[in-house]
Amino acid sequence: MTPAIDTTALTRRFGDFTAVDEVNLTVAQGQFFGFLGPNGAGKSTTIKMLTGLLAPTSGSIRILGEDLGEKSAEIKRQIGVVPEGMALFTRLTANEYLRFVGRMYGLDKATTLERTRELLDFMHLADEPKKLIADFSHGMQKKLALAAAVIHGPKVLFLDEPFEGVDAVAAGTLKIMLQRMIARGATIFLTSHVLEIVERLCTHVAIIHKGKLVAQGSLEELRAGAGRLSAASQAASSTLHAGPGDQSPGVQSLEQIFLEIVGASGETPSEQELSWLS
Amino acid sequence: MAELKGSPGAMAAMPPIPARVQLMAVAWLRWRLFVNAFVRRRPKGPRQVMGLVFAILLRIFLWPILSIMVLGPVGFSGFLAWELISEGHPRELAPVLAGLMIFWQFVSINGMNIATATKTFDPSTLTRFPIPFPRYLVLRTLIGLLAVSTIVGCLASLAVAVGIGIAQRELLLPALMAMGAFAVMNIFFTRMLGAWFERWLANRRFREIFSVLMATSFIFVQLAVPSRQAVVHTHGAMMPWYMRLAHQSAASLGWLPPGLAAHAILSGGQVLTVVVAIAGLLAYAGLFLAIFAVRLHKQFLGELLVDSPSVASKPPARRAKRISKSTVVRTDVAPSRVEHSLISPIIAALLRKEFLILKANTQMLVGLFTPLLFVFVLGHGLAARHTEYFLPTALGYVLLGLVGSFYNVFGADGMGVQFYFMAPVRMSSVIVAKNMMQLALVAIQVTVAWSLVVVMAQHPIPLSVQVAAGMWLIFFVAANLAFGTLRSIQAPRRYIPGQSRQLKQTTPTNRTSALLVLAVLLGGLTMQAPITYAAHYFHLPWLGAAVFSVLAAAAVGCYVLLLQSAESLTMKYRDRLTEELCKTG
Repeated sequence: MTPAIDTTALTRRFGDFTAVDEVNLTVAQGQFFGFLGPNGAGKSTTIKMLTGLLAPTSGSIRILGEDLGEKSAEIKRQIGVVPEGMALFTRLTANEYLRFVGRMYGLDKATTLERTRELLDFMHLADEPKKLIADFSHGMQKKLALAAAVIHGPKVLFLDEPFEGVDAVAAGTLKIMLQRMIARGATIFLTSHVLEIVERLCTHVAIIHKGKLVAQGSLEELRAGAGRLSAASQAASSTLHAGPGDQSPGVQSLEQIFLEIVGASGETPSEQELSWLS
Repeated sequence: MAELKGSPGAMAAMPPIPARVQLMAVAWLRWRLFVNAFVRRRPKGPRQVMGLVFAILLRIFLWPILSIMVLGPVGFSGFLAWELISEGHPRELAPVLAGLMIFWQFVSINGMNIATATKTFDPSTLTRFPIPFPRYLVLRTLIGLLAVSTIVGCLASLAVAVGIGIAQRELLLPALMAMGAFAVMNIFFTRMLGAWFERWLANRRFREIFSVLMATSFIFVQLAVPSRQAVVHTHGAMMPWYMRLAHQSAASLGWLPPGLAAHAILSGGQVLTVVVAIAGLLAYAGLFLAIFAVRLHKQFLGELLVDSPSVASKPPARRAKRISKSTVVRTDVAPSRVEHSLISPIIAALLRKEFLILKANTQMLVGLFTPLLFVFVLGHGLAARHTEYFLPTALGYVLLGLVGSFYNVFGADGMGVQFYFMAPVRMSSVIVAKNMMQLALVAIQVTVAWSLVVVMAQHPIPLSVQVAAGMWLIFFVAANLAFGTLRSIQAPRRYIPGQSRQLKQTTPTNRTSALLVLAVLLGGLTMQAPITYAAHYFHLPWLGAAVFSVLAAAAVGCYVLLLQSAESLTMKYRDRLTEELCKTG
């Protein structure tokens, strides 16, 4: 089957700084894919390139088998995006915004109105129809951004930190929606710092660090790969990072895998640092 | 919970999206953004009535000014064109059209700079929707048509054609055609320049430098704008330098758009000449459109227009060194510094923070000193005639540019304002530190302005006038500090350094604040004139000094009282402070 997302040697430089370095990424259709990395690793830059918001310096991107550079308008009809800053028009109401987005994606008026109503209802945003988006809480804005990203029924959905600043109730709503989309055959590509959520939702994960893709595969494959790392390092990591979120003994959590892979490049604080803290 | 009925499979076979649908959607978006700009939070009770009254007053005050700003250039262009033709100076038409073209671009680019800071709609965000490039180009061109500069420029072009037609009826038709083509050319020229400036203005440092250049050029324009007499009636050595330059450049304008437009109008009814000249104008328009399209295509493909990319964190080794060094400073050096310091360490830290904010903002820093240029200019006219008014006027103008910041002292802190409520600091210390930085700037500017005045004045300024000006200065600064600090607590407004042209007044509170500020500023400034006049009329040279001494003492007293109640006031209004300054939308 044609991959939903396929990149070859994807690179983006900003002057001398290489934000994304030769990334080869493959996401099969129907996968719930988690894209992880520390702050400044290149996650958002990658997602911007995959959605056509940022031009790559070199490399290629294929979405659903089509080249993004050549067929950008056609591909954009098949994808939905919740970008880093949500890109909302904050001087509109939620209803107005969804109606605008629906029309821009070519939905007819009746379908746009119907889906707007359904989405606002589903996201619990229908109660204050005259409230401007600027006056929404952060969580409400996230839910609206997601509603706008799915109003045209995309086959591939890109989410940049969808759960950041979202309360448990709203996060529950978002998760239900995303899982239903997966069940209906959509592909979801998300970045998140909340590793527990990624572990619970995603079937496949890639980890980017300092612009380079350092791991990619299913959770089981990552666990197996991490297991091959030095035993001493693994033991130290388990001792240091074990917590309440840990799973059964012997099975590494995603957090442990992540810290093992990313932490391997070493940012362990020395004991002298912050020694004045009680 | 409601169920979602849509399924992703419904998008399988999709016909192309009609251009009309997307163009209408964007037009509707613009309309809703415009309508919603009038949607405001409504206060209740007496504040609602007060807000309404001030809203009406503000509109009565602002609308005539805005009307003059729009209709002034239009009327001036039409009248000038009429007078040039009817007075028999057709050769001056090309330089006048060149002036119109420069004015058009000047207003447009400056408007863009303001919009960069205040815009509610960034058309480049439309690239995330499934729009083919030709449609995006059309959209961006159409969106540009709604700019004030385009409307004013088109109306001014029409006014020129009408003015020429009234002066000489047979020129009306070629004038309408030529000015129509001239307007189209200008629209694409504006779009082309705009696209490039958008690229450059994405850089904060360029934006800051550009704002300063614009502020300076505004002062220059105030001085150099040609009067009707200058254009029509002055000749030879009597002409101002800019008119001499225009005359000298008239010949070289022949193959440029203003020259082509003038040529088409003044061709004496030769159809071929008119057609060729208009074709030349349209060729220019095509060229500008092509350059605009090239730039826009890069943006469409995903060119990033931000100040700087995110950069990975520093290596830990260097971080560790920095931390240990700061620890040493903290334990060993800081206490000895405190012992010898005249001000408390808290105020010193706050002052340092204010200084760093100021230092990092070139636009704010250099912008503060632009009023001094005007003092220099003022001296040439006023000093020659009324020495006794020169000093007060110069000080008034300098302070006018400074005291505005007194009314929003927490604005640049943004979310950081919460720190003041969390940290063990007294709000009065915070306010004193902020006011000290402001007073330092006032002191520097006033010293420079005062020195300029003393040097430039043609006669020595009497001591009584200088003492009166000094007392007025203390009164004015103290009164504005007191009232400004009060309003800063009661009606804060978020301000982003580097994007200082926050012109929007988004809430009734701010509208109230704007009017009150205006009243205090104008009242404080204009009260000098009658007192100075009375002192002169009644031969009481020390009257001004006496009156302003009393007012200064009262104003300083008010400021001290305000500082004493700063703690309780900020606690009372902390909800408003944090709500306004911490909002992200």
